[in-house]
Amino acid sequence: MNERSGGPGRRASIYPSPRRATRGLTAAVAVVLSWTAGIGAGAAEELNALVWCDHTDTALIEPFEKKFGVRVNTKEYEGTGTALSIIEQSRPGDWDIWVIDGVDVPRAIDLGLLATLPADQLPLADVFEQVRMTDVTQRDGKTYAIIEKFGYNTIAYNRAKVDPADMTDIAVMWNEKYKDRIAIYDYYIPVMDMVALGLGMKPNEISDATLPKIRDGLFRMKDVARTVSDVVASQTALATGEVDILIGGGEWAIATLTDENPNFEWVLPEQGGILWAQSLAVFETSRRKDLAVEFVKYVMSPEGQARLATSSCFWGMPANSRAGAHLTDEQKRRLRWDKREEYLANSYRYFIPDAELDAKMLDVWTEMLQH
Amino acid sequence: MTVRRATAVITGTKPGRARQPWVLVLPALLWTALFFVLPLAVMVVHSFWQRQGYRLVREWTLVNYEKFFARSYFLESLINSIEVTALVTVTSVLLAYPLAYVLAEKVPVRWQRTALVLAIVPFWTSYVVRSYSWLLILSESGVISGSLQFLGVVDGPVSLANNRGATVMGFVHFFTMLLTLTIFANLKQLSPNYRRAAADLGAGPVRTFVHVILPLTLPGIMVGAFLTFVLCIGDYITPQILGGNQELLLPQTIMLQIARRSDFPMASAMALVLMIVVSVVYLACARWLRLERA
Amino acid sequence: MSATRRVAWVLGAVPATVYALAIYAFIFLPVGALVLFSFQSSSLPVPPFDGPSLQWYRAVLAEERLTRALTNSIVVALTSSLAAVALGFCAAYGLARYHLRGDRLVRGLLMAPLTVSYLIIGMGLLITFNTLTIPKSLLAVGIGHVVINLPLCFAILYSQMGEHQANVERAARDLGAREWQVMALVTMPMLWPALFASYFLSVTFSWDEFIIAFLVSKFEVTLPVEIWSMLRTGLSPQLNAIGSLVFGVSVVLVLLLDLVLLRRKRAP
Repeated sequence: MNERSGGPGRRASIYPSPRRATRGLTAAVAVVLSWTAGIGAGAAEELNALVWCDHTDTALIEPFEKKFGVRVNTKEYEGTGTALSIIEQSRPGDWDIWVIDGVDVPRAIDLGLLATLPADQLPLADVFEQVRMTDVTQRDGKTYAIIEKFGYNTIAYNRAKVDPADMTDIAVMWNEKYKDRIAIYDYYIPVMDMVALGLGMKPNEISDATLPKIRDGLFRMKDVARTVSDVVASQTALATGEVDILIGGGEWAIATLTDENPNFEWVLPEQGGILWAQSLAVFETSRRKDLAVEFVKYVMSPEGQARLATSSCFWGMPANSRAGAHLTDEQKRRLRWDKREEYLANSYRYFIPDAELDAKMLDVWTEMLQH
Repeated sequence: MTVRRATAVITGTKPGRARQPWVLVLPALLWTALFFVLPLAVMVVHSFWQRQGYRLVREWTLVNYEKFFARSYFLESLINSIEVTALVTVTSVLLAYPLAYVLAEKVPVRWQRTALVLAIVPFWTSYVVRSYSWLLILSESGVISGSLQFLGVVDGPVSLANNRGATVMGFVHFFTMLLTLTIFANLKQLSPNYRRAAADLGAGPVRTFVHVILPLTLPGIMVGAFLTFVLCIGDYITPQILGGNQELLLPQTIMLQIARRSDFPMASAMALVLMIVVSVVYLACARWLRLERA
Repeated sequence: MSATRRVAWVLGAVPATVYALAIYAFIFLPVGALVLFSFQSSSLPVPPFDGPSLQWYRAVLAEERLTRALTNSIVVALTSSLAAVALGFCAAYGLARYHLRGDRLVRGLLMAPLTVSYLIIGMGLLITFNTLTIPKSLLAVGIGHVVINLPLCFAILYSQMGEHQANVERAARDLGAREWQVMALVTMPMLWPALFASYFLSVTFSWDEFIIAFLVSKFEVTLPVEIWSMLRTGLSPQLNAIGSLVFGVSVVLVLLLDLVLLRRKRAP
């Protein structure tokens, strides 16, 4: 024990004098406050958007930001379950705009998350009829979301490395001939829907009863697959030649890769493809609804649609048919613009399970990953 | 006065003195309690709750643990994690020890610090980018495949990525460096007298190493191995980027629960299992992990 | 040494050198590929390498999200490490210099976070903040980083507070210095290598830390999280460029530090 020597009057105190302490403390508080303030300061108005990765392209966002003098903060996510997690972990007012899978809009309406959109201000009449999907985006005459972009989860491949004829049969996903040359897109809903098609079922026939068959189909897929990967890892795997086929791929996967390697193709097999359609919605708890609606209008405008269709993360067909005027011929070719009617006719929407079946499907997917 | 005397009695220090050390220690203690112990407690509580549908049901239940140990794909992720971590630890120790030995014994003293810094510097690139770099190196069109083809070892392009081997390689890359540091530090601390004594007693270099040096450096090895174990078993990035989802390790399973389902109860239960595994390993190595003062 | 012994020594040194070089090559492989493909001409950082180009570096420096994330990383690393060192120093001083009841327990508690994976620490903070509806932010990331670095700082500083310093401190007290003066003017300067080492290590760990930052940050993110997000949007040599920049800056910093330190050491 350290004893302190010294006569009376010497006080042992580890505290600095009050004045010094206060000065130090005020300085520290000032620093912290200015730092946190500095982080939040900047743009006068901001929109917080929960989006898919194609909305983070500055080519898409900047014209809007400049026109309205605002800043759009984006957070990307994949999979509606993930979005719901994020929303759950946020506070009301945190988010303004949501890019949500079209078929998940009813669920979001049920959860009371979406605000109504002024349908008269949106170019609904210009949207391709088959993707208007008013059965999911509208309820009781009110519009809650609008489809902004669509495409297919089907077979994407490198035509220099595989036999394109094999790609027209969806059973290629189990084809031993391509063992270890296949990547599976890591999104359980469309891939399980594709398995259903492969088994001769329709996607909406997935149920508790049919789930075991789907599971076996998934295992067979995993056996010949090299990797199960997200958007970028899939693109990487194709680009580096790690795999030659992407199950669940489509224009979204390969349009950006075609610049480097024109051998990438995608096709709808005979059994059909799975149609994905993303929609744009505004949060009910948003504090900037008017500005959010302006953003929706911008993205639905022909110019906005063309930029969205060819956005840097992944491409897709614009929902607004007038966007065709703003796309180049090469862009239209990669999107199979001319085949749009044919493809739309031979595709199925995502199957949306209820909460219980959803949990079971996720468990089956985890099992497949572990297989 | 009475409070002060009471505190003094409790803390075994003289009055007036009593407050001082606690005032010094309290901030750190409070921080740890508030931001470490409390969150862990919250997690433990959550692990005994359940997520049904989209709601959190706050009733005591063991269903998460049952599910974890009953479903093979969950349990497998734990086993995979332990296997991979054990493999990584052993491989890294085997690779690092000779390097540490060479650095400590063969390299001239004035170059030793430079050599160490050189070994650490490559890890100042971003962890995420470095992992991705490994993915590209190991891929079919990557450097390793190219070299193997060039050397005639293989006929066509070969891919080493997207599997457990790639994950192990990514881990070993980092932990070899870490273990080199800890073993090196330990070797440097050894007094040369041990070696001289062994030589005096007639032991050759091999015997000296096996019977004298190795046991003396065991603490350094164990500290490094333990650190490796903890860091490796809880790591999410390397298996996620390099593993290709060929199999799932425990951190990946946990993140799946958090990200895709917001299933905090299930994730908490798995996290608790992970902590227990680490605690068991800690207890096994506790002998070598005590904190000593200079 | 006789000729045969010299030959034997050289022969003995060859395997050692080969081994060391092999391991170093292994360690430098990803960095080498990283830097090489940051100068890639085409848009994918994969072989073949075609021509040096600075376009990706230009893109990185123009990319506002990246530079913002970089600043955030630096701020979080520097401030959280400062907090960790300060807390660790005070705690180490208190425990090393005074005999407290239950000090083994306190030491164990302070060191406990070392045995818990970052993922779990991050999860705990996430769930707790969620339950208390505290918003996610960079501050939360900073808090998490202090949690992971505090044990380290404490351990390093505690292990260096030996009897030698204690004697000098006693002398200072005898000469009339008050306690805080002893700490600030005597102990800290004597321990500055340990202080520096713990600060430096904390900054290193905080700077590159991913999982806690990923879980508890929202829009303002640190560099590893931003890189991860960018990886989700597209593979590009831009990421190689940022990795190489980080690497380059670190190397320069270390060289500077080395020069500064060496100069101070050599000063008479």
